[in-house]
Amino acid sequence: MFLALRELRHSRLRYLMIALVITLVAWLVFLLSGLANGLATDNGAALKNMDADGLVYQADVRFYLHRSILPMSDVAAIRDVEGVKDATPLGHLTITTTPEGKTDKIDATVLAIDPDGFLAPHITSGQMFDPAASDQVVVNSTYKRYGVALGDVMLVEPSGTRLTVVGFTEKQTYNHLPVVFMSIPSWQGLKYAAPGSSGSIVDPISAVAVKGDGGIGDRIDAQVSAVEFASIQTAIQNLPGYSAEMGTVTTILVFLFVIAALVLAAFFYVITLQKTNQFGVLKALGARMPYLAWDLISQVVILTIIGVALGAGLSYLVASLIPADVPFALSNSLVVTYGVVLLVVSLLGTILSLVRIARIDALIAIGRVD
Amino acid sequence: MVTLALDGISKVYGDASDQVIALDNASLTLERGELLAVVGPSGSGKTTLLAIAGLLLRPTSGRVILNDREVGDLTDREMAELRLRYIGFVLQSSNLLPYLTARDQLLLVADLAGRRDRNAGNRADALLEELGLGSRKQHYPDTLSGGERQRVAIARALMNEPEVILADEPTANLDFQRGHEVVSMLAREVRSRNTAAIMVTHDERMLDLCDRIVRITDGRLAIDARQGAQEVTLSER
Repeated sequence: MFLALRELRHSRLRYLMIALVITLVAWLVFLLSGLANGLATDNGAALKNMDADGLVYQADVRFYLHRSILPMSDVAAIRDVEGVKDATPLGHLTITTTPEGKTDKIDATVLAIDPDGFLAPHITSGQMFDPAASDQVVVNSTYKRYGVALGDVMLVEPSGTRLTVVGFTEKQTYNHLPVVFMSIPSWQGLKYAAPGSSGSIVDPISAVAVKGDGGIGDRIDAQVSAVEFASIQTAIQNLPGYSAEMGTVTTILVFLFVIAALVLAAFFYVITLQKTNQFGVLKALGARMPYLAWDLISQVVILTIIGVALGAGLSYLVASLIPADVPFALSNSLVVTYGVVLLVVSLLGTILSLVRIARIDALIAIGRVD
Repeated sequence: MVTLALDGISKVYGDASDQVIALDNASLTLERGELLAVVGPSGSGKTTLLAIAGLLLRPTSGRVILNDREVGDLTDREMAELRLRYIGFVLQSSNLLPYLTARDQLLLVADLAGRRDRNAGNRADALLEELGLGSRKQHYPDTLSGGERQRVAIARALMNEPEVILADEPTANLDFQRGHEVVSMLAREVRSRNTAAIMVTHDERMLDLCDRIVRITDGRLAIDARQGAQEVTLSER
């Protein structure tokens, strides 16, 4: 550390610039991971927050809720399967709503549930809808941003069906849209308004949410005809666009780590080459490799920690300034994890320099041997 | 008392078909309190001699004895340890680290030995004062003159209380007056501390300050009597 600190202090500009590069990379890493986290939450929060172990879909619909259609009778059939503790119906529909008297069009995902079942959301204000009153709904807090309050009426486009907001919930989004919770019959009235649109299926639902032990998936698939089970995790992975979004962000993150490693490796390698003669002198004086290695490593660790700390600080600053409707969620555990990854990556980048230093012969200190 | 002895040292570079003999059966003893000059044209083998005496290079044959201890079969690690404890180097102009102050150049030696404490600080201060650098302690090499830099290098070489100081062309980039000043300081320190030094040089004008002169030609050593430097210094004592 004796040399490391003195050199950092003496060549301030040079090391400040590399610390700045690390800061920017760390900042970008944290922003992207926050965005990834936010997008994932935005897309699948309703599924993630479900108190269920899995969803049962119509077979061969690639776990797309909007394509899946099952008869209500499957709920009872699934409940009878060994290991299943509970099962409750789920209906899905994407709608466009307009608060009465306004022109805002708000896209939303309808999730139809049994208000007494385990999918009932946590009500933050107001109350749960009454299944007997077909126009009552509970909506996600997103609607408050559009000025919607308890008791307000919204019209469903284009049919003009009236929905009355009786309660608010939070953290319920699906496919990046706020969720509107309503009863199964109300939902059926919206989705299957036209006679015969549900085909031969009587009393249709989209899927069945189940709770049970680890083996229920196989047993449900075997014992109930024309259905397919997916764990909540699989269901999230198969949300439309989910893997594409995550894949893009993950690719960028991986590239950032590689870039960070290469930039640091190149920077320290060039500096090491430049200092070849100094290392020769140090070795002639009797410095051994562990002393020189620790010196370089402590420089890298100090610069990386400074860079990552600044990057994290800037990210939290951005997180506090970002508007609420941008899907951005910075989590402390992600910041710590990626900070450690950056540190490891920067240490990997020093290997090249360490090998170089180890190969320097003390003899060069006394010039060319004649 | 003999502190360093080279006994029948040879150094051969290259393979059997293309051999270059840098040193040919060279023998040399160095006594305490003595400043020995090695002079010779470039390519004569004087740098090789210095490298072997400084435990930076192993001879092809022959024995190196430091303080009555033969250092023939030591590992690189052990050689580094001996360099750190027993040998001081004063190298050509660019041998100070650019990012250390004059004082830190000296403390580095203590840090390498794992003994950077208050004593080391006091010792560094005393050495710098002794070499006339009392007001330059916090200066970086780029703000020191060439002569001052070499004086810092001498102070650094003395920091670990070495048995032997090896100086490689210490006056290479200095004018006569500055060079003479640096070498006389080196000679003074060697005598007052009863240590010993070998100085490789091509500058004949510095030889009057040396106790003994060895000429090297094509890898062979010859004790030089012409300069009469020995008599001069003996009479001074």
